[in-house]
Amino acid sequence: MFTVFSLLRKDLRLFLRNKVAFGLTFLVPLVLVYIFGQVFGVNRSDSGPTGIPIAVVNESDAAVATAIIEAMGQESAFRVVSTWRDPNGVEQPLTADWARQLIRDNRLRFGLVFPSDTVSAERFGLRLIFLNNPRNAIETQTVTGLLQKVIFTAAPQALMTSLRQQAESFIGTAETTAFYDDIARSISNAFGVNYAEVRADMEAGVMNFGGSDASATADGDATTEEETSSFIEQIVAIENEQLAGAEVKSPGATRVVGGWAIMFLLFSVSGASTALFEEKQAGIFHRLLASPVRRSHILWSKYLFNMLLGLVQLTVLFLAGQVMFGIEVIPHLPSLLVVALCASIACTAFGMLLSAIAPNPAAANGLATFLILTMSAIGGAWFPVSFMPEFIQSLSKLTLVYWSMEGFLAVLWAQKSAFEILPLLGVLLGMAAVVNVISIWRFNRGDLFD
Amino acid sequence: MLTISSVSKSYGSLVALSDVSLEIGPGEFLGLLGPNGAGKSTLMSLVSGLKTPDAGTITLNGTSAISGNSQARHELGLVPQNIALYDDLTAEENLQAFGELFGLNRKLLRERIAEGLTAVGLIDRRRDRVKGFSGGMKRRLNIIAALLHRPKVLLCDEPTVGVDPQSRNAIFELLEDLNRQGLTVVYSTHYMEEATRLCSRIAIIDHGKILDQGTLPQLLAKLPSAEQVRLVASAAVEAAPPSLAPLGTLTPHEGGHSLLIAPDTRLSTVFQVLEQHEVPSADCTLTRPGLEEVFLHLTGKAFANNPSPSISPPPPPPQPSTRPQAVCHLLDDKPAGPPPFASLLLPCPPHSLCSAKPPACSRATRSR
Repeated sequence: MFTVFSLLRKDLRLFLRNKVAFGLTFLVPLVLVYIFGQVFGVNRSDSGPTGIPIAVVNESDAAVATAIIEAMGQESAFRVVSTWRDPNGVEQPLTADWARQLIRDNRLRFGLVFPSDTVSAERFGLRLIFLNNPRNAIETQTVTGLLQKVIFTAAPQALMTSLRQQAESFIGTAETTAFYDDIARSISNAFGVNYAEVRADMEAGVMNFGGSDASATADGDATTEEETSSFIEQIVAIENEQLAGAEVKSPGATRVVGGWAIMFLLFSVSGASTALFEEKQAGIFHRLLASPVRRSHILWSKYLFNMLLGLVQLTVLFLAGQVMFGIEVIPHLPSLLVVALCASIACTAFGMLLSAIAPNPAAANGLATFLILTMSAIGGAWFPVSFMPEFIQSLSKLTLVYWSMEGFLAVLWAQKSAFEILPLLGVLLGMAAVVNVISIWRFNRGDLFD
Repeated sequence: MLTISSVSKSYGSLVALSDVSLEIGPGEFLGLLGPNGAGKSTLMSLVSGLKTPDAGTITLNGTSAISGNSQARHELGLVPQNIALYDDLTAEENLQAFGELFGLNRKLLRERIAEGLTAVGLIDRRRDRVKGFSGGMKRRLNIIAALLHRPKVLLCDEPTVGVDPQSRNAIFELLEDLNRQGLTVVYSTHYMEEATRLCSRIAIIDHGKILDQGTLPQLLAKLPSAEQVRLVASAAVEAAPPSLAPLGTLTPHEGGHSLLIAPDTRLSTVFQVLEQHEVPSADCTLTRPGLEEVFLHLTGKAFANNPSPSISPPPPPPQPSTRPQAVCHLLDDKPAGPPPFASLLLPCPPHSLCSAKPPACSRATRSR
């Protein structure tokens, strides 16, 4: 037993002296747990999304439209966007066409338009137009669900109020009041509910007359939730207008392929970069530097190798996506290759940075795992960025994953050409340049070549 | 040919080299001998351009060999301390990868690769991956990789670390052959036996300074004595030092002691003291001093990193005695009378290869 304890004590001592192992065991998981917790909002009382921007254009003068917009404003999941800066920087009210353009350009992804005929004498109910760019399935489903909840809660009440106002204007207040009294009495008699409650509900515009009491006392004749919902759906007609990705043949796979591809690319590039450490340990650098080879030659050769490896890997992954999941890659191949090249350049810069700042291969691998998982999480590879807290959303724009995914989706989902997404590619290359400068600075001060 | 003038190099507060100067002529085989941490590898790194000296100059045929000088890189070949080869490439692919860096055309490079692999007996394994090679084969390939561009000076930084005796000898023969062909070799090692066997001149380095340099006879001639007694560890030996100390320079050696006998001390006096302490004959060895004693003489301390690798010594001169050439045991198992000490000082090779053990003494012999 003593032998076992001696060996145990030795292992403990070795572990405590190995800063990398210690960090990977405790610090990295703690930091990742915190970041993932922030990303998924597990520490919030309401763990749902907050502040998803949604364009709202009201072309109607119906009170119900105003009521729904107010209800949306009170829903924490949404951030109602009704104005936008024009090219001159002046805040202007959004129009439907402008909102459509913003959504096509991926500057917003959802919009709700109340057309001038939101409420019309020619039909019963409301007409709304839901603008969307469903490039992220989870995000779109969640927003659609939340929007229906808000509308279906606010619309009937507002609609009833609106109808009463219209009735009063046509037949007068006294006649309308008498009509409401008759209806309330009939409901009370037919369903055995309290007349005063039914009358109060009608006055407030509430549709489930008598509320839960009614369903509790109606001997099975009460209106079920399903029926209520069906009824509401009949009075609120939401027209779906998909502004991007409608032509995409395999939307599910197209949405996720970019995130997955870039995550795998980061892993392979960081792995390849640790080859620098292996060559150092083998003494290869000494041999190389004793020949007519400079440090910059070695670094550039590694950079080019990893970049080309990344480009080939991405191309193979996307082509495999076409074969296995029907993603339309071939029609967009030229633009896709440009984005893949920029992503490879940026990811290779990341890999080189790991080699420059890590003291040994184990530390580089640990750091790579930590950074890749973090960047993938906050960059949107797993979970919609719009669902994350605002400060995480800001951080996500500092990640290669975010901008690479934006590039891939712009080409495969929005079907844009490389020329149309030059600013986005510029961001990727700019990030690569900044990371490279840091790497060179570190390489010049580090001991990789000593 | 290669001139190192007043070179200094520090790492922070640690002085790795201090005012080192060496002149290496064409065709020389210079040994750079010193314990680990003496500054050998730093000096090799400076000469091969891996590092830049803080002060001083290094020139090769009058041209600066400081890092960045492409001309010097073409005239120098470095055999690194590590086996700097790609395990997953074949022997041929490795040599091709390194040879191309010197701008050799494909045909010439192919010829030189074939020549090199033939010279080290690896031509039949040229298409095998290096990871399947033994340590000795890798070491030989490691040397060939430094010779493809036909350098004028070959820098060997401890090229036999971890090599079996057979491969070590093969490497020695290769280097000796190259040197005979006119290649200048600078060979760093902490094995005195290697320096003794290979080098025409030896520079002893410690704590970043060249302590002395010269041919082996020149270095040995600086010792105060040409005789020493080595005593292996035993209870009797442990009691002897106070009495032995006045007779010469006594230092710890491999668990026992080494006594470099003072010039004015007679051998018989030493052995009388040993007999007084009942030191068994099997625990005493009379040898000629070697580089270890030179190092001791220069630094006042034993050479710390000399684990005595197993190498075959060069052929010894003919001996009248049948006992082991390099081993000169006192008293042996002869039954009576003190031995004629002077006659036991056999002409050992000047390095420490006295490893063969004599037959164990009987109790009666020891108590006599």
